[in-house]
Amino acid sequence: MSVLVQPLTEPNPLQDSLRFARRVPPCAIVIFGASGDLSKRKLLPSLYRLFYERRISQNFAVIGSSRTPMSDDQFRERMKESVSKFLEDAPFDEDIWKSFAQCLFYVAGDLSEEDSYERLKTKLDAVEKSHQTAGNVLFYLSTQPSYYAEAIKKLGAHQLQKGNGWRRVIIEKPFGHDLESARKLNDDIHQVLDEGDVYRIDHYLGKETVQNILAFRFGNGIFEPLWNRRYVDNVQITAAESIGVEGRGGYYQEAGALRDMIQNHLSQVMATVAMEPPTVFDAANVRDERAKLLRAVRVVKPDDVAKYAVAGQYGPANVGGQNLPGFRQEPSVTPDAQTDTYAAVTFFIDNWRWADVPFYIRTGKRMPKRVTDIAIQFNAPPLGLFSQETKGGLREARPNLLVLRIQPEEGISLRFLSKSPGSGMRVRPVSMDFNYGSSFGERTPTAYETLLVDAMAGDATLYTRQDMVDASWQIVQPILDVWGNSKFDFPNYPAGTWGPKASDEMLARQGHVWRVP
Amino acid sequence: MSTTIIFPAQPEQILKGLSKLWTSLGEEEKHQGRPTVLRACAMTLIVATDEADAGFSASQTISELMHEHPARGIVLAVSNEAENDLQARVLAQCWKPFGKAQQICCEQIEITAKPGSWQNAAPTLAGLTAADLPVIFWCRHHGALKKDASDTDKAGLDAIAKLATKLIIDTAGMDTADGIALITKWQGEGKLVADLEWTRLTPWREPLAHLFDNPARENTISAFHTLEIEHTEEKPSMQALYLAGWLSAPSKATVQFRRATGFGAGIQRVSFRSDSEAIEFERTSAHCVTLWSTNGRERKYTFEEESLTALLTEELAVAGYDQAFNSALERARQLIA
Repeated sequence: MSVLVQPLTEPNPLQDSLRFARRVPPCAIVIFGASGDLSKRKLLPSLYRLFYERRISQNFAVIGSSRTPMSDDQFRERMKESVSKFLEDAPFDEDIWKSFAQCLFYVAGDLSEEDSYERLKTKLDAVEKSHQTAGNVLFYLSTQPSYYAEAIKKLGAHQLQKGNGWRRVIIEKPFGHDLESARKLNDDIHQVLDEGDVYRIDHYLGKETVQNILAFRFGNGIFEPLWNRRYVDNVQITAAESIGVEGRGGYYQEAGALRDMIQNHLSQVMATVAMEPPTVFDAANVRDERAKLLRAVRVVKPDDVAKYAVAGQYGPANVGGQNLPGFRQEPSVTPDAQTDTYAAVTFFIDNWRWADVPFYIRTGKRMPKRVTDIAIQFNAPPLGLFSQETKGGLREARPNLLVLRIQPEEGISLRFLSKSPGSGMRVRPVSMDFNYGSSFGERTPTAYETLLVDAMAGDATLYTRQDMVDASWQIVQPILDVWGNSKFDFPNYPAGTWGPKASDEMLARQGHVWRVP
Repeated sequence: MSTTIIFPAQPEQILKGLSKLWTSLGEEEKHQGRPTVLRACAMTLIVATDEADAGFSASQTISELMHEHPARGIVLAVSNEAENDLQARVLAQCWKPFGKAQQICCEQIEITAKPGSWQNAAPTLAGLTAADLPVIFWCRHHGALKKDASDTDKAGLDAIAKLATKLIIDTAGMDTADGIALITKWQGEGKLVADLEWTRLTPWREPLAHLFDNPARENTISAFHTLEIEHTEEKPSMQALYLAGWLSAPSKATVQFRRATGFGAGIQRVSFRSDSEAIEFERTSAHCVTLWSTNGRERKYTFEEESLTALLTEELAVAGYDQAFNSALERARQLIA
């Protein structure tokens, strides 16, 4: 495995880490699939923003590549349109764009054609000289996943995986469509690249608030002693979207919620919440702990899938006066689609810290609101000394709840009971809030900005490693297998609701209820 | 939201006023049945000012700063117009982040003092600092910063400085020798000191520093022997001195200052030379600076004359010892000696 964070070789006496952005070495970034949506909406706007904020090296270049024939100038013009349109929360500056555009180049080519790689090599050599990129190259595979293996094989065949500087490859999800294909892809990648040069991107891990979970857990001394089976009753991870498939029906029909969200994003979030503290905060140690946690997740037996996992699909409904179609009525979706637009799974982590604590994960489309959060439900006090009647007359059995909010209102809140003012000992739940936006008012970098800078700096902490991908496929594969052979009576939840009844029943069997985020 | 005048300005009375303020903000929560207000505080920020607007612009800046650095803000306005020796009022600075239901509120205390009484403000301020959080003192009391300040002003300044974890001043327009002497004195007393003239340099310093990040570059900084800084002031300002100190320190380059006109006030151009390379960094329009090297390419950067709010936002984020500033200051001392 390569060095985790590559230091710049000579100390620069002018550096000022208190005030300047993190140092990033010179490099060229090659984007395969440069005319695609991800490049236009996320990658180029993020790179421009990094350039604008002086967070990338002055010796930097981007080489876009895709099948569309274009000159450098045409590529620049197209990217200008995209950047000005999709730049989030930041101004577009014409002068800065001109400087940035001088760093943009284009090589037209098909990933399956040998000539494309030769042309790319020639362009890289030229850019290395003109932009002094020190031979460092970051390849970004923003293509159809079916091209990953071939593109990497050809990079190797044309000796592009090595050069004067470092070479790294960023791969977008999905990393395979099941356990077998993920393993095959990893084998293909390792024919050409060392694991240390492979950066599998999971943009959830780049979110500031997901990173903050680590700071919250391991930067404070007061939470970690409670972070175990003695004090935690259950953990609920929710990633709900209010929108439907938004024109991606064809893709989504093949993927489904379990593959699209739980296998990657949410299992990584669970690993971040539940992992052991690393001995050192670096990529290897953090990822070791995440991988170890994922390997400790109990793999559900096929006969138990119905007990621990629930699939759902939304049907039509009228929400706020608007008629919303069901999934099967969405464009490019077959009328009898068996796709899960909702998935809920109960996981158990078989280690000393978490034995028998259920981790409930749910994700779905067309839910009442867009929210992603993690709720740690603590045990009730051993004796209920106080009348715990809340306003609604419901008994609050477990008053202590810690919620880590990922989006949209990033922050942390802790619920506890407090005496209501006045005579008598009546208690009511109150919430102590930390609001990420209000405590740190500065602009939060997008997940892609964070992850791109990390990859250029050689910091893989927020990227997933082969063993993590393997372990997360292992825990969802039995569920996928059973669901693949089942015929569901879909739709089983109307749009605008929190999912099917079976999901509530899954928790009820453990004596729990889903919280309403 | 504000309250009535509190006189005499005793800490208990002012804290009681703050408590009432929060109770009244809580009333709204009671009616709505959900949390509507979030109190935020990460530090105590004291501003002392003798400006003619009786603290108005200082209050304005504090309220803008609250979004990024929530604080208990205390504005101490020293004015001949003050009705009493020391009087106070408390208010909450609230705003609703875009798209959020909850208001964020910070506490602000405004104290007005007659010029002869402001040295008595420190005991009041001592009772008003937020517990267990840093105390930052931004001194805008120009009279007290002068070399020939009155004893009263000096006593007032020293008493408040004693409460502070960090002192922030702005030496723009000050005599450079006086500015350096003042900072040196405070540093000698073990204080963390920041100067907004140094903060103004970040947009100049960062691109210049990045030039030397590339390990493949031919000329390292030690090869640069001549530095020329063009500025608009009659004499080199603190800003120009700091920049010269910072950039020339590693190579002990010869420094020259030159007066020039250009876009706006302050530094206009930096020229840094070795035997085989020249680096030029200059303002090329009102909103743009251009960096080029004879061995490299040209790159443009946006350039805005930073507002006080922006400068303080940066400075309040620097909590500890500022190595780069202190090295530049040391070299600046040598340059004017």
